[in-house]
Amino acid sequence: MELARDEYATHTAYDELLDRELKLRPAAQPLFDYLNSLNDGELAKRQQAVDATIMAMGITFTVYSEAGNIDRVWPFDPIPRVMGRKEWESIQAGLKQRLRALNLFINDLYNEQRIIKDGVFPAEVLEESANFRPQCVGITPRFGVWAHICGTDLVRDKDGTVYVLEDNLRVPSGVSYMLENRQIMKRIFPEVFRTTNILPVDDYPTQLYQMLASLSPREDEHPVIAVLTPGIYNSAYFEHSYLAQQMGAYLVEGSDMVVGADDIVYMKTITGLQRVDVIYRRIDDAFLDPEVFNPDSVLGTPGLMRAWRKGNVGIANAPGAGVADDKVVYTFVPQIIRYYLNEEPILANVPSYLCMYADQREHVLANLDKLVVKPANESGGYGMLIGPRATPEEREQFAELIRKDPRNYMAQPTLEISTAPTLVDGKLAPRHLDLRPFVLQSDKLYATTGGLTRVAMRKGSLVVNSSQGGGSKDTWVVEDAA
Amino acid sequence: MMLARVAENLYWMARNLERAENTARLINSTTYVLLDLPHGATFGWKNLAEIAGLDDLFARIYPEANEESIMRFLIEDERNPSSIFACVRYARENTRTLREVLPAAMWERINSLYLYVRQHAQAACSNRRERYMVLNEVIQQRHAIVGLFSGTMPHDDVYQLIKLGRNIERADMTTRILDLHSAISFPNDSVVREALVERIWMSTLDSLSAYQTYRRLVSMHVRSNDAIRFLLQDMRFPRSVSHCLSEMEAGFRLMPKSQQLQQLTALLRLKIAQHDSDDLDAVALHEYLDLLQMQLGEIHDALTQNYFHAWQGAVPQTIQTQEEAGFAQQ
Repeated sequence: MELARDEYATHTAYDELLDRELKLRPAAQPLFDYLNSLNDGELAKRQQAVDATIMAMGITFTVYSEAGNIDRVWPFDPIPRVMGRKEWESIQAGLKQRLRALNLFINDLYNEQRIIKDGVFPAEVLEESANFRPQCVGITPRFGVWAHICGTDLVRDKDGTVYVLEDNLRVPSGVSYMLENRQIMKRIFPEVFRTTNILPVDDYPTQLYQMLASLSPREDEHPVIAVLTPGIYNSAYFEHSYLAQQMGAYLVEGSDMVVGADDIVYMKTITGLQRVDVIYRRIDDAFLDPEVFNPDSVLGTPGLMRAWRKGNVGIANAPGAGVADDKVVYTFVPQIIRYYLNEEPILANVPSYLCMYADQREHVLANLDKLVVKPANESGGYGMLIGPRATPEEREQFAELIRKDPRNYMAQPTLEISTAPTLVDGKLAPRHLDLRPFVLQSDKLYATTGGLTRVAMRKGSLVVNSSQGGGSKDTWVVEDAA
Repeated sequence: MMLARVAENLYWMARNLERAENTARLINSTTYVLLDLPHGATFGWKNLAEIAGLDDLFARIYPEANEESIMRFLIEDERNPSSIFACVRYARENTRTLREVLPAAMWERINSLYLYVRQHAQAACSNRRERYMVLNEVIQQRHAIVGLFSGTMPHDDVYQLIKLGRNIERADMTTRILDLHSAISFPNDSVVREALVERIWMSTLDSLSAYQTYRRLVSMHVRSNDAIRFLLQDMRFPRSVSHCLSEMEAGFRLMPKSQQLQQLTALLRLKIAQHDSDDLDAVALHEYLDLLQMQLGEIHDALTQNYFHAWQGAVPQTIQTQEEAGFAQQ
């Protein structure tokens, strides 16, 4: 396999598979032994097989701007990102620690608010939080868990440190691509799975099912589990359908369900009504229940909140869990971990400046050309400023936004996020990537083996979001050499 | 246990695919007939839209009924929800919402049928030779889809609903293809006329892939009474109305809460068996076929009410125990 040496020659970021001298890292050795054993042209042939497989499997990612064209294939790169098991297990422990603390935090916010009274978390941040739901105050869901499913975005900086970039606690997506990417790899590179010890990822649907089942209010009965989707025009519809199919759950839209005066959720079946025990909802809080939230929503089901408050249905993630999915709250996570768990954080947070504090805001405004500025409540890479790449006019516009609504902005130094060799015009060129593992919590904790690796397919680009032209790779966690 | 919406989508997916196939058959039959028409006989293009039950819609969209406008209307016009392209597109949209209950290959097949029709519909409208090839390909691809159903799907409620949709649509379309004869005004010369009638019935049988079977099972001669009886009553032929009804009866028997639907279907089949279709003139045949279409429509309405709206009225309105609410158990 040929490296794009010209690109690597000027390369300064950390590469996941190659060290500074462009020697293979130990975990990547078996992969490259295998790639080098392929004949010329074989890889290109398999790349074509990938494209055909993706088409046939119907893996698509919708982008909102492409109205009317609701199938768009998401680029897949056949060169996996590889990690050693030891490193991964330490990351896994960090992910679980983080979600455990975040759930204690959310439950505290909706109940006693000890963390505010103890002066660790500022009341004004909560007061201005867009995702705090007063309708949830006083509730403690089963196991005290609000965020049952978390997609945590990780990146690696120049010096090799892994940072948490954000915790997606609302309706994180992407796990189906993690699963399908592995299926694709097994189809096109079956040999390497025989010779290399690659840890499996496919127990996720079972783990998800068990987690959801544990939320059922009717403990003696086989639970009826529904995946609530906004419908086929949603960008993640494929995933909703895929997960429902994998778990043997019902894929429902809001109008398929009805809440009776008995505060029980039913779905409309061909023989009448059937009680629903657990809802894995893939729509935002605001659209969940027009009785309580956005009254114009046609995506949700009127009465869901009544049923949930009474404990007649489990909802994952719980309404209101998004309060901790906020880029300002993010900056407090290390303190949150120390406060609730009395442990040191295992995973690092990116150093962050909160524009709500005058001194930090001044620092941000003075260094806009060096920082990435993010709005607190946007996801998908929308509405952010990458200082070093912005024009002076764009920076000035953003400074204005920050001054107008400082609580809504935070800034971080631009990380030089890591790369991995990616197939570009027949050569392996470095492309930036991140990693989104998925963490589950109910009565127990689970984190995926690896996760979804997203890669910016354009040279030098740092934007990996699928909605902004990124692609994905399979993620291998392999046994460390003895 | 199945969601009412999923059931409805399955049923309509099957109906739309069957409708697309049969519209292709109807058009192919028409094209044969046209080639066979001698001088003095004329074909009423307007009647073709009427046979399909779409004359009002057609008149609203097109100023004039001729071969080209009718073909556009029936093959590619999305404003006609029963055009081949519209049916295939609906079926594809339905399938998209059904991926978790259908075999994975189903989406690929239906998607490729959709892509084929989208690409070739226009050529099929303007050119008779192309038309025949394209429509045949539509029929072939549709057969592959039915093969996939029957070869890979468990025979559960999903399967039964697809089968029900397919058979009710097929029965309806067979009556419409039979009705094609009402679109032809025959010449006065009785010898020419008789030969023509036979040729046209041969085309009709052929368009339903029934010609060989008819000759083997019924007669070497094609007489209108025999052909009508064959396509309405013969239980052995899978596109005859009676056969479709008996398939539906069998499907209903395997579905929950289907007593009334079984009876309704059986009753219609018996009525057809007892109906004397000898010596029906064109007008009487047309009226009889209309009546059958209405009765199939009644079965459709009953099925819709029974399965897709079963939940209505069952929602607990005041606080009561679950037993009183009478919700369905799994």
